[in-house]
Amino acid sequence: MNCAEYKELLVAYIEGLLDEAQKHSVAEHLKSCASCRAELKEVSDLHDRLVKNSNTLTQSNLEDVVLDRIVREQNARLKTVDKINASLKLRRIIMKSPFVKLAAAAVIIVAVLVGLNPFKDTVTFAKVIQPILNARTVVLDFIVGDETNGAVMHDVIVGSKIRRTFSNMETILIIDLDNAKMLTLGPADKGAIYMDIQGPLQKGTKSYLGLVRDIVSKIVDNPNIPVQELGEREIDGQRAVGFLLSEPNIKLTIWADLETALPIRIEFLQGQTQTIIKNIEFDVLVDESLVSMDIPAGYTLHEEEQDWSEFTEQDFIVVLQVWAGYVLGGRFPDSISLEELMKLAAEVGQAAEVEQAAEFEQAHQLSISDEEKMQIGMAFGRGIVFFQQLEPSGADWHYVGKGVEFGDANTAVFLYRPKGSDTYRVIYGDLHVEDGEAAQLPK
Amino acid sequence: MSETDKSTQNMADKYYVERCLDGHPDNFRYLVRRYQAVLLAHLAGKLGSKDKAEEAAQESFVRAYFKMDKLQKPDLFYSWLLGIADNIAKEHQRNEQIRRQREAVRSFSQEVPPPELSQDFALEAAIAELAEPYRKIILLRYYGQHSCNKIAQQLDMPLGTVTKTLSRAYAMLRSSLQQTERSEVYEV
Repeated sequence: MNCAEYKELLVAYIEGLLDEAQKHSVAEHLKSCASCRAELKEVSDLHDRLVKNSNTLTQSNLEDVVLDRIVREQNARLKTVDKINASLKLRRIIMKSPFVKLAAAAVIIVAVLVGLNPFKDTVTFAKVIQPILNARTVVLDFIVGDETNGAVMHDVIVGSKIRRTFSNMETILIIDLDNAKMLTLGPADKGAIYMDIQGPLQKGTKSYLGLVRDIVSKIVDNPNIPVQELGEREIDGQRAVGFLLSEPNIKLTIWADLETALPIRIEFLQGQTQTIIKNIEFDVLVDESLVSMDIPAGYTLHEEEQDWSEFTEQDFIVVLQVWAGYVLGGRFPDSISLEELMKLAAEVGQAAEVEQAAEFEQAHQLSISDEEKMQIGMAFGRGIVFFQQLEPSGADWHYVGKGVEFGDANTAVFLYRPKGSDTYRVIYGDLHVEDGEAAQLPK
Repeated sequence: MSETDKSTQNMADKYYVERCLDGHPDNFRYLVRRYQAVLLAHLAGKLGSKDKAEEAAQESFVRAYFKMDKLQKPDLFYSWLLGIADNIAKEHQRNEQIRRQREAVRSFSQEVPPPELSQDFALEAAIAELAEPYRKIILLRYYGQHSCNKIAQQLDMPLGTVTKTLSRAYAMLRSSLQQTERSEVYEV
């Protein structure tokens, strides 16, 4: 063997991998070869260095700390699983519970908020629309969102009272604006609930007459607001003249009867939300019992503790939970808008068939009290109001939940900046919330 | 060699993996014990400090634990674990890079103190640079304290191949370390 071949064997030599004959031969060669001895020194130096480094590293014992971390993480995961399981149970209840109608009812109040007067100062009525103000009764249809798909609310307005019914659910609402009271009637369960709508809801809840009044006054009285005349068009078989009023973030179109100058159709776009008021009729004959705040014969009054004074992030999280966790079966919706939320509320509310609910609860031995159901329903309703109260233009909130799985703790679904705050609140797929600086936000 | 002889190591890994999956998380302890030094050496070379390597090694184990049901061949736990560690090392490197960029921007010209290197970073870095088959054997031999016979079993290769690979690995490490030392001399 030559030196090169011996050098090849040196690692095996110090590792004790050579047979006796080879070992002997290497040892003999080393005695007489300085170059190979130097090589051996280098190889065993590296060997020692490896062993030494290994000893340093082996001093760390990760066993306990790893096991600890696993246990902690396990617990955190179990909690999420628990949460999701609890939500599943909740889903069944929500989908079946008549109490959710309340939440649906809340949504309807919200719809009124959409029509909030966007102008700050009020002016006297213009002569042309004087008849509107004097009208004692008005009947109209109100649509949030797309005219062809959006749910239609039908309103009968008598003075300061409104009777509201819906194209996509059975609930009947009677709103007394003067006294800030609302009566909710569920024809399916013959249940009646009084709700206090004082506070933000009262402020926001205005009759459309008020809205129309303010808007039209503006157009007529304030020369600084640019009004574009749209000319004449046929609207629902009537000759009408149109006006378009644009302000940042707001687009309002009014079509008025050419002869009476009464508005017959109003389109209102605020931020991302469109509302349409149509089929407006003034001073039609209305049966006043329709807007009575008394409980109709055959209905039973449910007395419930209610809180409509605040609309919090936590409420909104319930909305996301219901939507992603239950209705969509574990994924977040592609987008979020008031229109979609109202449809969701109707869907959830309408799923509540009383008999089925009772059967279902029995079959699944669900022992959630009525009170708890009520809480969920209320939170759901308040959550929608919370969303509605965010800047309508969407400038300070972003929905990024498309394609996100429910329970995903690492992916954000919704972020918004609370009023007066520099930082954002970020809601993740498992519904935990973190504060975030604008710079670190997703997308 | 019979099937059981072929790799008692791998079979033991498989056993513990299955025990964990059966709901005995404490059995994961044996896997941690067996591979912690290997993983540390593997990561120290990539991340540059012992602390960071420890953190990443912990994370690798934890992640491995929770992904264990996705491990197709439980007897290949070792290779799989190294793969996870590689991913985590990459994540850490990326985060570290971002952090340093931010820090650099924040402190403008201020000197950012270099992170504390581990004791023999040069060696660890040289190991990290080795090609996969060579690195595996170095890690198992010196950090996993496996004999060459055991390594031959675990990696399912003849002892002669292990010996040859180990020799080649030595040669590579030496040349890589010489280069580092040389460049350090020039730098100073």
